[in-house]
Amino acid sequence: MQQIQRRIIYSILILAGLIWINFSTDHNSESTNGQIPAPRQNFLAPDFSLQTIEGETIQLSGLRGNVVLVNLWATWCPPCRAEMPAIQKMYEEYKDDGFMVIAVNMTNQDEINSIQPFLQEYELTFPVPLDTSGEVAKYYNLRSLPSSYFIDRQGIIREVVIGGPMAEALLRTRIESLLK
Amino acid sequence: MIMLTLFQNFFSPPRDLILVVAAIWLGSWLAEKRAERFGLGLNDLNNIIYYPLLGFILGGRVLYVLENLPAFTSDLRSLVSLNISLFDTLGGLVTALLVAFIYGKQREVPFWHALDALTPLFASIFIGLSLANLASGSAFGMETDLPWAVTLWGATRHPSQVYAFFASLLTLLFLWFYKMPLKPGTFFLSFSAITSGWLLFLEAFRGDSVLVLGGFRLAQIASWFVLVAALVLLDRKYLE
Repeated sequence: MQQIQRRIIYSILILAGLIWINFSTDHNSESTNGQIPAPRQNFLAPDFSLQTIEGETIQLSGLRGNVVLVNLWATWCPPCRAEMPAIQKMYEEYKDDGFMVIAVNMTNQDEINSIQPFLQEYELTFPVPLDTSGEVAKYYNLRSLPSSYFIDRQGIIREVVIGGPMAEALLRTRIESLLK
Repeated sequence: MIMLTLFQNFFSPPRDLILVVAAIWLGSWLAEKRAERFGLGLNDLNNIIYYPLLGFILGGRVLYVLENLPAFTSDLRSLVSLNISLFDTLGGLVTALLVAFIYGKQREVPFWHALDALTPLFASIFIGLSLANLASGSAFGMETDLPWAVTLWGATRHPSQVYAFFASLLTLLFLWFYKMPLKPGTFFLSFSAITSGWLLFLEAFRGDSVLVLGGFRLAQIASWFVLVAALVLLDRKYLE
């Protein structure tokens, strides 16, 4: 290819790139508006309403204004067990600053009789709603346990952590960043 | 659609990382096949892949720890946690580049020859990333009602990860089979130009772009600068 031909082609490519960038601008910010409910970073956290083992009703959208950690877990899941002490510790440290933990037990794939002993063994004081029908598992597209969702004060998911156990440093950095 | 669901279930996070690791392995194997053509010994090639890779992993974690030191001082076990979220990706990349640079300087590895030899690895990593994104639902597309749209995150969307997979696969196949007269650096620069070109084009169909300056997509601007740099350097190479 001659030098002139090559430079003409390169110039056309560079110019076409600029035109395409301008053509594909996203003036409505539709790609980042965070309004559609989906279990994904920068999306609105799918709402749910469940009862705890004590019979108290917990609705996620009712916790707006708080930073919320939604943790999906089961008693038979070793990494779920391993991360519970760190979650409890963070809950105690930050609850007065507006941090909430909603640890949803996947009751439809767990033994309901083993939940209360589990809560006592780990001395968990945050709400533990029971997903008896699997609705939260469905809304949150659950594929692995544990799965954790850090939700900001506006109800938007800011980070998803699939698998575990979550380290205390991970919990602390995310909570502190969202509480700012 | 069933195939896609099976794929996503099988490689759902955190198993999606297996695809990136497999891509690195495949890319290293392909790079080995072509290393001698670019004047790079197998020992140097392997070292220039695996030392920076180690630098990426260690550098990313160490820099993250330094940036968030108070969070780690209260729980030292977190230092060795397997959570990949405790990682500074940019810091890891900078460390990997530094390690590669230092190794190259010490062993007097020719710069452009090394980049040419590593190009199959880079191309393979793009394939692995697109598949990992497809499995995890990351790098998702804008909403559309086109017949080939996929349902993802509460809407029917462009299958942007599939677009990226085919673009990266075609890039690798083109570079692998195309017999061009090679001057040092032209193989890598051709890859850079082609890849930045399709990244710039396909970013327009993404639904998760970072927007700057009132709606411009940051990744497109970055890709455009890479494209310009690659074409200018290619032009100079052909004049040498």
